Amino acid sequence: MNGELHGHLDGNIPAEALDHTDREEADEWNRMVASFRQAAPRGGAPPWLEQRVMAELESLPEPGPLRRALGWLVRPAPVRVSPLTVGLAAAVLVVALVPRSAPESGPSGVQTAGSASEEPVVYVQFVLEAPSASSVAVAGDFSAWEPSFTLTDPDGDGVWSARIPVRPGVHGYMFLIDETRWQTDPNAERYQDDGFGNRNAVLAVGASG
Amino acid sequence: MAPPVERTDAQVVRDILAGDRDAYRLLVRRYGDTLHGHALRMTASQDEAADLVQRAFVQGFRKLRSCREPERVGAWLFRILANLCTDHVRSPRRRDLRITELASLLPSEADPSLDAAAAEIRARVWGALESLTPEQREAFVLKHVEGRSYEEIAAVMDLSVASLKMRVHRAREALRGLLEEYA
Repeated sequence: MNGELHGHLDGNIPAEALDHTDREEADEWNRMVASFRQAAPRGGAPPWLEQRVMAELESLPEPGPLRRALGWLVRPAPVRVSPLTVGLAAAVLVVALVPRSAPESGPSGVQTAGSASEEPVVYVQFVLEAPSASSVAVAGDFSAWEPSFTLTDPDGDGVWSARIPVRPGVHGYMFLIDETRWQTDPNAERYQDDGFGNRNAVLAVGASG
Repeated sequence: MAPPVERTDAQVVRDILAGDRDAYRLLVRRYGDTLHGHALRMTASQDEAADLVQRAFVQGFRKLRSCREPERVGAWLFRILANLCTDHVRSPRRRDLRITELASLLPSEADPSLDAAAAEIRARVWGALESLTPEQREAFVLKHVEGRSYEEIAAVMDLSVASLKMRVHRAREALRGLLEEYA
């Protein structure tokens, strides 16, 4: 099948622009596509769907007050501020930051953050191939096992990744797919039993990465 | 007294997240048919489609906080369902189905006028779809059976138009054997 024929079936090339052979094949394709549409099973959602979904939701636990409060904190909400307020806030920020302008430097090739009195943070690249996932997060010792770091797949190729700040040390971690399935990183350098019959991936982060 | 104004999707999502769990039924009513139609075209089974749609709605409720565009919650739910459908079609048990078994899976009660010859064509056509990869099948169904535009599909599936076209093109190539059979 050549590019012109695909272009026609995509709706970009009119039939008149095709040569005789391609036009015949296009006609056959159009007939087959029509048969697909004709053969397609039809029907709306069953009448009991709403009732069953709502019944299943009833069995889910209500979010606790802490989670509701957290949800309120992280949910975007419009905020109105006057230009005068913005100006004052900017002035306060400038005054606060000026004494701390001494530069810091991390080891070569490693992104680090944190003041001189704090342990530096190393940014670690987490990658997981999960073509059918609709969300992927990572949780580990570095996040108190909360799946608070989400990975992204902007080009839709099924490879999810994120650069996540981790303090130096040895950390166990797992991926959480679609907020329901835990998966061990298949490409981890080391593993350890989690005490519940599964294996955690292990990540060793040095001060220099 | 003025009639009640229907809540927008964004308002419904906000109300649910604020604790009005019952508001979720509005989303089930608004998008149940659309989701079920797609699941039906992916599975050719009323029972499997209904089960997948129910799972999609429950999963959608559980992760509603991660819906970044509440005004497009319908598209977001559709994507959850589409992922469940491709996983389901990919499952080993499902792939063991034989083409001849498909005829019994199809909803004959939905079209009682279907004669034996038409039923056979329906089973052959949909049996051919079973030979595609789940991603190719999804792309072909959305483009050619549901008649959606590339831009619309790409937005819902979070794919580039170029990637999507490639999937559809590969699906056509894979189905070419069937075309020759019909010629």
